[in-house]
Amino acid sequence: MSQSGILASYDYLDSTVDAVKELRDAGFDEVITYAAYPEHHLEDALGYGESPVRVWTLVGGLTGTATGFAFTAWTSMDWPLITGGKPVLSMPAYVVIAFEMTILFGALATVLGMFINSRLPNVTPPVVYDPEFSSGRYGVFVPASGTDLDRAREILRKHDPAETREGAHA
Amino acid sequence: MATLTEAQKRGALAHPDVDLHEEVNRDILKMLSAPGKGWWFLFSLAVLGVGLMFGSWGWQIYRGIGVSGLTSPVGWGAYITTFVFWVGIAHSGTLISAILFLFRAPWRQSIYRMAEAMTVFGVMTAGLFPLIHVGRVWHAYWLIPYPNARYLWPNFRSPLVWDVFAVTTYFTVSSVFFYLGMVPDMAAARDKATGFRRKLYRVIALGWRGTDRQWHHFGKAYLFLAALATPLVLSVHSVVSWDFAMSIVPGWHATVFAPYFVAGAIFSGVAMVITLAVPIRKVFGLEAYLTTKHFDAMAKLVMLTSMIVFYAYLTEFFMAWYSGEPPEKQMFWNRLFGHYWWATWIMLICNGMIPLMLWFKRVRHSIPALFAITIFINIGMWFERFVIIVTSLSHEFAPFAWGVYRPSLTEMGIVIGSFGWFSFWFLLFIRLLPPVAIAELKEVIPPRMRRTSGGHDGHDAVPATAPAGD
Amino acid sequence: MSADMSSGIKRRDFLKVVGVGGVGAGLTGCSTESAEKLLPYVVPPEDITPGVATWYTSTCNGCSAGCGMWVRTREGRVVKVEGNPNHPVSEGALCQRGHASLQALYAPDRYTGPMQRVNGELQPISWDEAEALLAERIQGAAGNVLFIGGAMGPTMADLVDQFLSSVGGSRVEWEGLNEAPLREATRIAFGRDVVPHYEFEGAEFILSFGADFIETWVSPVQYQRGFARAAGVDDEGRKGEFVYVGPRLNLTGQNADEWVPIPAGGEAAVALGMASVIAGRIGNAGPYAEILQAYSPEAAAEATGLEAATIRELADRFQNAPSVAMGPGVAGQHRNATAANLAIHILNSVAGNVGSRVRLVENAQSAPSRPYGEVEAAIRSMASGGVGVVMVHGTNPAYGLPPASGFNDAFAGVPFKVSFATEPDETAAMADLILPDRHFLEAWGDASPRPGVYSLQQPAMESVPHFDSKQTGDVLLSVATRAGSPVGPATTYDHLRNRWQSLHQSVGVAQDFEAWWRGALKSGVVEVPVPATEEPVTLRQPDAALIFDTPAFDGDGEFVLMVYPSSRFGDGKQANSAWMQELPDPVSKIAWHGWIEIHPAAAERLGVDKGDVVTVTSPHGAVELPVFTYPGVREDTVAVQMGMGRQNSGRYANGNGVNAMTLLPAEAEQPSGGLVHLATRVSVVPTGDVYRLATIEGSDSQSGRGIAPAAYIGSLGHSEDAGYEGEGEGEGGYEEKPLEEMQMLGGFGAVEVEGKAADWPLPGTERGDYADPETPRWAMAIDLDKCTGCSACIVACQSENNVAFVGEDQVRMGRDLGWIRLERYYETVDASHAGTLDVRHLPMLCQHCNNAPCEPVCPVVAAYHTPDGLNGQVYNRCVGTRYCANNCPYKVRVYNWYSYADVPEPLNWQYNPDVTIRNTGIMEKCSFCVQRIREVQNKAVVEGRAIADGEVVPACQQSCPAEAIVFGNIKDSTSRVAELAENERTYRVLDKLINTQPAVHYLKKVTFHEVEDAAH
Repeated sequence: MSQSGILASYDYLDSTVDAVKELRDAGFDEVITYAAYPEHHLEDALGYGESPVRVWTLVGGLTGTATGFAFTAWTSMDWPLITGGKPVLSMPAYVVIAFEMTILFGALATVLGMFINSRLPNVTPPVVYDPEFSSGRYGVFVPASGTDLDRAREILRKHDPAETREGAHA
Repeated sequence: MATLTEAQKRGALAHPDVDLHEEVNRDILKMLSAPGKGWWFLFSLAVLGVGLMFGSWGWQIYRGIGVSGLTSPVGWGAYITTFVFWVGIAHSGTLISAILFLFRAPWRQSIYRMAEAMTVFGVMTAGLFPLIHVGRVWHAYWLIPYPNARYLWPNFRSPLVWDVFAVTTYFTVSSVFFYLGMVPDMAAARDKATGFRRKLYRVIALGWRGTDRQWHHFGKAYLFLAALATPLVLSVHSVVSWDFAMSIVPGWHATVFAPYFVAGAIFSGVAMVITLAVPIRKVFGLEAYLTTKHFDAMAKLVMLTSMIVFYAYLTEFFMAWYSGEPPEKQMFWNRLFGHYWWATWIMLICNGMIPLMLWFKRVRHSIPALFAITIFINIGMWFERFVIIVTSLSHEFAPFAWGVYRPSLTEMGIVIGSFGWFSFWFLLFIRLLPPVAIAELKEVIPPRMRRTSGGHDGHDAVPATAPAGD
Repeated sequence: MSADMSSGIKRRDFLKVVGVGGVGAGLTGCSTESAEKLLPYVVPPEDITPGVATWYTSTCNGCSAGCGMWVRTREGRVVKVEGNPNHPVSEGALCQRGHASLQALYAPDRYTGPMQRVNGELQPISWDEAEALLAERIQGAAGNVLFIGGAMGPTMADLVDQFLSSVGGSRVEWEGLNEAPLREATRIAFGRDVVPHYEFEGAEFILSFGADFIETWVSPVQYQRGFARAAGVDDEGRKGEFVYVGPRLNLTGQNADEWVPIPAGGEAAVALGMASVIAGRIGNAGPYAEILQAYSPEAAAEATGLEAATIRELADRFQNAPSVAMGPGVAGQHRNATAANLAIHILNSVAGNVGSRVRLVENAQSAPSRPYGEVEAAIRSMASGGVGVVMVHGTNPAYGLPPASGFNDAFAGVPFKVSFATEPDETAAMADLILPDRHFLEAWGDASPRPGVYSLQQPAMESVPHFDSKQTGDVLLSVATRAGSPVGPATTYDHLRNRWQSLHQSVGVAQDFEAWWRGALKSGVVEVPVPATEEPVTLRQPDAALIFDTPAFDGDGEFVLMVYPSSRFGDGKQANSAWMQELPDPVSKIAWHGWIEIHPAAAERLGVDKGDVVTVTSPHGAVELPVFTYPGVREDTVAVQMGMGRQNSGRYANGNGVNAMTLLPAEAEQPSGGLVHLATRVSVVPTGDVYRLATIEGSDSQSGRGIAPAAYIGSLGHSEDAGYEGEGEGEGGYEEKPLEEMQMLGGFGAVEVEGKAADWPLPGTERGDYADPETPRWAMAIDLDKCTGCSACIVACQSENNVAFVGEDQVRMGRDLGWIRLERYYETVDASHAGTLDVRHLPMLCQHCNNAPCEPVCPVVAAYHTPDGLNGQVYNRCVGTRYCANNCPYKVRVYNWYSYADVPEPLNWQYNPDVTIRNTGIMEKCSFCVQRIREVQNKAVVEGRAIADGEVVPACQQSCPAEAIVFGNIKDSTSRVAELAENERTYRVLDKLINTQPAVHYLKKVTFHEVEDAAH
């Protein structure tokens, strides 16, 4: 979803954090921040809860386990063939298969969950984005218009950003 | 008020010479610039290796598996040895990135990307060997779990099928892990690169922009992947060890095999990381990122695992004697003093004796010494697998059927070529992808603060130096 | 690629061959040859249908023993030969060389047609021209025709003699394995000019002075069977003793209970010493009484380095039990060989064995025994230009005679030399005209192995189309006609019929000839009562002066050289068979190349070990051979095998090993005129080279694993550990515990099992096809007390199951494909003094374990267990991971490292269409001849009946001369195999150690000496 607003880039972490906090106090909830690394201060400032990705992992893993056992058991019962005098249905041997499938499904589900939750992949080039974000700078984008935009601009300017730009954010 | 995290404090010590996040980008991304002579030389060597490998393999497929030195009773030899060797190498990556991540080890950031790449390429190399060693490679796909025309499925009781599952899972998961961790760095590369590389990185970066939401889910996903990869890495080499332990061959049929192989894998893997890190550090001037602290930590890990492995050797010999079974006893006697005594002693010396030098701090801090020692360890670990496989098979239950195996030139060609194959990918990797984790390094480098006070004591932080520009 | 049969055969040939089969089928009943020649054994010819085997009877020509054969043909092609159960000589068994004779039929190097030597080069020529040419030369020879032949059947011999008498010429016979001294000794002793027949059955004390009656001597199949019956322990625990006297243990010797290692040539002294003891008591030595005075045990001990007590004790045992003694055989033919044989006759005579176990009326009349002296004379006349045309048939003197004989020069000097060789050989290489004879499976003939036994040889197939051959008899007849001196009817077949017609009359059976003749063809053999004459049991006054002393040996080398017949090649006849070349020699376990046997102590003195190449020099020649250290040869003796070192034979024989005859003098022993084999000393000098032996032997010691345990005869009957108990007790032993296996609840619930083969399928596995309790469980029992290690089973298996040969280099690497590995372990072998001997032979084949370790490790279920208990190997499914072979504790799985099955045309014609050809990358192993099981099962189903016990006979059991192998359904408690499985001697290899629960049950060898524990 593309929305218009104002983007400010900061050199300093603390100024960024202050700006975000002030914005949220001023009632801007849609604030988006940029950083070159996972910066927990920003996350705290934005007040994130638990990520739903863990559910994906759990469900994926359990599906794997079930599939592993069901699959091996079914195939060996489907055409009973004795090898080495072992019972046709020799579950201990199938534990390994089930385990590996648990890991495989769990891992793939996790990545899938993360992509979906963080709207990836998304290669549409951003209108307002500062390449420095991936290097050292921090960014704050406030979707706003009209008077809100002015208020936001004021707050952002207060923490002397390296620069501010206005435009749409993809 | 923003404060320093534990990681940042310890990280700050880990990289005393790195001050600014921008420097990280500069130093790391610089490595992606046009390759130099040295790289081209190594790369052409690698290509030669690849040629040798696939040439020999082609010859083997054309003439028949008989061009190998394998025979009865030694049906497995250099190929499976090399398979296990590369799977072992592949273990350090996930270990360092996943397990050390969970343990929050401070020194992993600068090496784990390389280690992970090693994992992926290690598995890619190892994965070829089961194919190389089967007699009818054109039918190897029958091991994939699908029903043939008569609805006959693979035999899930066979450790080889377990292997198929374990190794493919390991390859998939570690590739995903490798890639996921790299996405933010690709974004960084994208934002600096131009022309073709920019296009390339844009695609690989999947439009990563480092928004709070992305970092949030990314963090969690990475954590869970690490949590999944940890048991996986332990399981994979256990399964590989069961290829042997599940059989009844004297010298293979031992319960100690799983932990013994896992320790061995980590041992060889970390050793290989050192072997590779030393030249890269030199060539790309990464002294600031790969400090002696890192090598010291890895050396300690090598020392620990070496002692576990050596203990496992002794356990095997003791159990053989304690079992009182003639086949078992005589097999191990034969291992030490029989036809392949030399291989056994290479193994014992390279894996048990030489690493003892790492007890000395001076050795652990001497890069050349570490390089030399780890080379010996790589050799020793190849021979460990050779000894386990060949000596056991050559001296089994039926004395009249005892035999001797001599590797053939074709076999050696493939084995040596596999190193070319591995280096081929690794060299491409250090040129095309950031070999050191940019984003994670920044985690442990103190962020720039504008207000000053307190220091690293958890209160308001000071910038390590004055802000650049402004 | 010959991997699939049809492509191996040119379509035209295939149709031609099948077609002839069909025509023959159609014509049955008419009296034309083509109809007759195709009279099958089991089914009438009209039943010849593609996919169904047709059997013919014939007589084996591998050696002169005249064993009966069944010939199995498919689509008009011979694919297998087996023993003819109706035959009084072989009683259904067949030796390794008999099986190999089949390969000669398809030998790729056979002559493709008649050829004439035109200025040095052999040029093809038509039969018509060839016969005309020969006729002309014979006319030109003006009666100076020499025919050098091998041993021939009566009809052929008679035909040749008629031919020679009409064109004017003479015949000499030369066979490498020749019993002239024995025959002469028999004449001197009893006035009968025959080779006696020895009856082993019923003997309780067997004494061989070196005769290799298990390998080549006179009638090996018959004698081995008799020996096994006599020396194999019976249900009452009775077992005949076998003492072997001689300087070297051949395979026969390895089966002895005691070895008296006397120096070469000492037999006469020992025999006479023993005889003097016995005669001293009974005084029945007749004209030899005073000679025996001179040969007291003390004198014998003096001459042989034994202790007089040993000889006395042997004499007692020999006298007090039904006993039999036999002579030194070919390997022991020294300068006093006749005397030695006579001495043994005297011994038999004083012990009263003549007439009972040494038979002169029922004698071995087909055994070659024409003296070398006759050949010597022939060589002289050739050299003196007295021969215009020389014809060679069925023998190869250019190779088989010592060079000193001067044969080659003399032969080369003859104006016109004709060879009737089927395959190239050294003599044919010098011939001017080559008229390739038919292989005996394509030709008519007969044999009379002993008085009253007449055995027929009929063509089992139209001659192999690749080779334009013609039966020599027919050639001679047509040549005689062209030369203007015709001989009776036009074909060999007619001569044969005529002879048998007269036989028919002489027998005077009610049946008319046609019916009788057809009956004879069907059963392959006719037995007529021998006119009952009294066996001469008393010794005659000798009519020749004989010296019984140890003979003289040429030269002053350190070692006495023994040149002994090969159990694989005989005198070299079968050398071009890849099967024989690849068959590990039963004694040395070496394949393809030659070796010299040296005692380990002697080797140490020389500073050599296994594989070191040495130069062996006798006054007559020198050869280079790798060393095989063998504890079964005296320190002062070395031994080299005959039959190797062919130069102008086929691709499989040429250049393998050396020709031992080149070390020998060309000397006729007196008075028999036999060629001396044990006549020279040699010096042995290391060359410094090393030749890696192509051997299948890993270790000759069991290293305490109880692979082949034995039972002391005294312990039989009262050993508490009967049946499955007490096997494989290794060092420390493995405790008895009730077996528990996790069979229930998907592998989580334990059940107690007994671990018997009959318990298949195991509890918890009765699902799907495994549920039916009526399904049989196939199992095998092998009596190691009978097994002699002769290796006939290996070749039978190879022939039945299309087991490919791999060649010397591959064998050297350990890649031989034999489905049966005959393991040979030394327990007690001491050449230093007379005493106990204990060598264990164990045929190791797939054990078809209930808990087969090979099966669960296969990723693609190529190895699995069939409902009837077989350890199935699905070739098409095999990917070739070789995990199964690694995990097989018995190491019976063999792997196709290359496409070994690609053999040169037409060798692939031999392949059994019922068995898949294995290609590169595939694991294979013994299948219990599953194709035979299925054949019988289908037959039983069609006939709506149950399978009788013993109806399914695997190839190995079928051919075993020792009757050591029993096969059947072990679930049927009345079957023989089930009974043997409960025998007190029964054990299963390694079962106690790793609980594989094999279906192959071994019955322990029984020894006359205490064995410490079951492992030794």
